[in-house]
Amino acid sequence: MRAFLAIAVLGGGVAHATVGSALRIADVAPDIPLIVVVLLALRRGPEFGCGAGFVAGLLQDAATGGLLGVQALTKAVIGFGIGALGGRLRVSQPLVQVPGLVVLSLLEGLARFGLLQLFHFPAPFGELMVYVVLPQALYNGFLGAALVLALAWAETARSRPS
Amino acid sequence: MKIRALVLLGTVAAVCLLLLTLQMRGHIAGASDALAIVTTPVQSVLARVNKATVGLWSTYRDWKNVRAENRRLREETQQLRVDALRVTETIEENQRLRRLLALKESMPLATLSGEVIAREWGGWVRSLTVNRGRADRVTRLTAVIGPDGLIGRVVDVRPGASIVQVLTDPTSTVGAHAVRTRTQGIVEGEPRGTLRFKYMARDGSGIQVGDVVVTSGLGGLFPGGIPIGRVRTIDDRGSALFSYAQVTPAVDFARIDEVLLLTGGAARDVAASFRTDG
Repeated sequence: MRAFLAIAVLGGGVAHATVGSALRIADVAPDIPLIVVVLLALRRGPEFGCGAGFVAGLLQDAATGGLLGVQALTKAVIGFGIGALGGRLRVSQPLVQVPGLVVLSLLEGLARFGLLQLFHFPAPFGELMVYVVLPQALYNGFLGAALVLALAWAETARSRPS
Repeated sequence: MKIRALVLLGTVAAVCLLLLTLQMRGHIAGASDALAIVTTPVQSVLARVNKATVGLWSTYRDWKNVRAENRRLREETQQLRVDALRVTETIEENQRLRRLLALKESMPLATLSGEVIAREWGGWVRSLTVNRGRADRVTRLTAVIGPDGLIGRVVDVRPGASIVQVLTDPTSTVGAHAVRTRTQGIVEGEPRGTLRFKYMARDGSGIQVGDVVVTSGLGGLFPGGIPIGRVRTIDDRGSALFSYAQVTPAVDFARIDEVLLLTGGAARDVAASFRTDG
């Protein structure tokens, strides 16, 4: 189980730059590490969510050639927050999953932009939101919901007596 | 538990901010390199897997596209073949009708065009059914011609159709003469579907293979000068009263689709309307 979690976090962090491009639709790629962190944080709690977010984000930063620590911090915060709120959210419903992931992605985008502003990131906020963050958030919502459904189906199939 | 989590979050945040600050000041350029040592091999493997998967998927999609395209092209080819046949058929029909029209216009007699709607090709009877009948004022014994020559005569008129006795019918006889020698005789149909020219032996000594035989116009049934055929062989019976010549019909009776019915009588010579080269 630990190996699976490690692969999920590490793989998710690195896969974004390679496999993620294969999932691109109209130049919009999903944030796979974010989806992985959210799913893990919901199951394993705030500490794990925070750690997973940090590792996945750091790997993502390194893999994409950005500033080390930006996504590590935003994803760690998201992982922590979702892990802490997880018990109070009814996340088994796709109607919650899709908007939930969209909102989380938007929050992550906002947080990343805010953080980068500290380091004089030049891109205008509006354009970034409309052309990058929002489309990616929508994509994350649907892909994450599909992943949740697939996992639920796999678990049901595994627990069914053969 | 909660305090531990908050401490973890605080530590992570502090590490990240420290990392960012140090990077901005250019102090930890080697940190990225250190992480790259871990991430690059993993990325390479993932890229390879990704490439293989995408390649497999592309191959499958190409194969599927090729299959679909193949099916579409097959259907298109079939359709084109049908279209080509239709075009060829139309061109041939056009040519036939043009020739018939040219004949109709050059004929000094009133004519009526008709379409062959049935054929009787047994040895006993050889006839065509034409879609012109009593309603078109077709009368019995009307001569029927095509662009190449004489086809036969109407032997039965019905309300919407006429039966045409073809020259090769065993009971068909037509007054004829050889164009070159002016030898008079009768062209008769034979049971095997051929024609023979029967003429007086003493008049026909000059007939040669290749001579053109046309209607004589005698008897008033057919206008004179309509091509019947060419002499193929001569059957010289020595001292017999009649000699016979096998004649190759000018008209291919098996391939007639349109005809002209000479409704304007048979009183004139129409040789000028036909090209016989003989």
